[in-house]
Amino acid sequence: MLIAWRYRERDTIIQRLDPRARILFMLAVLFSVIQFWDLRIELVFLGIAVAQYALARLTWRETRRAWILVSFIILFMTTLTFLTGRGGVEYAYYEEHLIRRLGPLSLPIVGWQISINITAEKSIFAVSQLVRMYTITIMGLTIPYTVDPSLYGATFRGLGLPDKFAYAMDLAFRFVPTLGRDFSITLDSQRARGYEVEKLSGGIVSQIRRLAPLLVPVTINAIVGAEDIIDAMDLRAFGIGPRTWVRQLTYRRADKALIAAGVLIFVASTVLAFIGIGKLWVPDALLRLATTS
Amino acid sequence: MTAGRSTSNRAILWLVVLAAFVVLMALASFLTSGDKIRGLAPIAVTAIGLIGVFVVYLLTARSDAWEVGTRQVVYMAIGAALYGVFNYIFNTIPMPSVSQVALRPSVCIPVFFGYVFGPVVGFFTGAVGNILGDFITGWGVYPAWDIANGLMGFVPGLIMLFADKKRSLNFLTGLVAVLIAITAILVFLNPRVPGPWTGEIEDFSFWAWAFIVGGVVVIAGRFVLEQASVDLAAINLWGTLGIIVGIGFAAISDIWINGYSFATAIIGEFAPAAGPNILNSMILSPILLAAYQAIQSRTGR
Repeated sequence: MLIAWRYRERDTIIQRLDPRARILFMLAVLFSVIQFWDLRIELVFLGIAVAQYALARLTWRETRRAWILVSFIILFMTTLTFLTGRGGVEYAYYEEHLIRRLGPLSLPIVGWQISINITAEKSIFAVSQLVRMYTITIMGLTIPYTVDPSLYGATFRGLGLPDKFAYAMDLAFRFVPTLGRDFSITLDSQRARGYEVEKLSGGIVSQIRRLAPLLVPVTINAIVGAEDIIDAMDLRAFGIGPRTWVRQLTYRRADKALIAAGVLIFVASTVLAFIGIGKLWVPDALLRLATTS
Repeated sequence: MTAGRSTSNRAILWLVVLAAFVVLMALASFLTSGDKIRGLAPIAVTAIGLIGVFVVYLLTARSDAWEVGTRQVVYMAIGAALYGVFNYIFNTIPMPSVSQVALRPSVCIPVFFGYVFGPVVGFFTGAVGNILGDFITGWGVYPAWDIANGLMGFVPGLIMLFADKKRSLNFLTGLVAVLIAITAILVFLNPRVPGPWTGEIEDFSFWAWAFIVGGVVVIAGRFVLEQASVDLAAINLWGTLGIIVGIGFAAISDIWINGYSFATAIIGEFAPAAGPNILNSMILSPILLAAYQAIQSRTGR
């Protein structure tokens, strides 16, 4: 099985930035956006995320699968939150203005009575939640497509991860193609013996157990092979002194500006939230709808 | 020696920063009735959690469980790569599913690596493996879920802090009993709270009994599994605890991050993720462990 990275070399502004600066900026936006429920502020963050996505010049074709799955999860979770009452934290809103009451509906078998109150606050909360979740998703979605996998070790070392962990990360990225190939060989070997992964029969326990002929050989082979790697690394005195990296990362002016922007956004968001700005905003039109219905 | 001292100084510095942050949060909460710290509350809770983990680390710092040498670095890398590759493969190739339980067998990898090689290897396997899997499939980066997957490997690795596996099982049994007792007492003392579906006051004392029955089943399960093998009982119980803690962490953090209601976090996230993961782990981790022990005795390593 050929495992290919999503990363492609593109001459874009986003890819020219230092990955460390991008990760710090992503975290700053993440910790900022979660401080607000005001849709107007959430839309500003969505704008930042969309701008980053547009600058990365990703095509629909390469991100289609991710979009479909992520959108399904976001819509499902938002609907479920809408149906199950007050979302998020207790203090997002206290008072509710009823627009419409659905039900009571009787659940089959158990016979529970469920009624759904569509309120102005609940509706706008659902929209804010949708925007917030898309913002967080878009910020993270561009990373796999635009950061070179060979830079992860150096990137996380640069972010303060100890040498050994950063090297383990680097090593893990290098093992992926080999393990993908091992899995493919194992799958072919088991198929030659009559094993059909697509047609596992029996109850759930026996179906799960029948996946062992795929999982166990690949895992145990990798562990047995690890001994040679450990010996080779020990012979080269691994971990005795600080490591150097083939590709060095250096902050340029644009990277420093991005980090500064991230810090500024986080500090400003924290101050705004602290003085009480950014709570759930309910448009007057929705409130009027509630009073007239 | 110098490197060790500088690491320890840095760790203490971070601990002081975290402690100062938590004190400031507590003060802000006290002075503003908690209303003005909204978005920072999750950071404070995370900081408290990190301090808790750090205290456990300090108390057990001399244990081999925390050692990170060449062997651990290589197993971390292999575990993470395996978890990432399996996540990708079992999400990509058509797999059978029974009812709503999708067969995602890769969860046994962080549980197994944590149990066999320790909490550091387990955490790295889960966290970095999840990042890798999401990178290969192109789904993006989700820090809370990366930490959650890390915890699924970290918790089973804590077994290394005990002198033997039987003692670790006794500790777990005691822990389950105490937690169930506390939860049940809390529910019995305050059984009438707003229901997650209706928002109206409902009686939840039934759940106290459900917890008690669940606890009894878990404790009885420990002794039944132990009849077969101590390893079987240990990897299953520690693995299950790891999955509950990991997925529980992700579900709770998504209440803050994504604004889920409690019911959404439990019904939409915790139950569908934790249930099948526990089942997959309980079946596959012992098979993996048996194969590893056979190889270990054959190679003498």
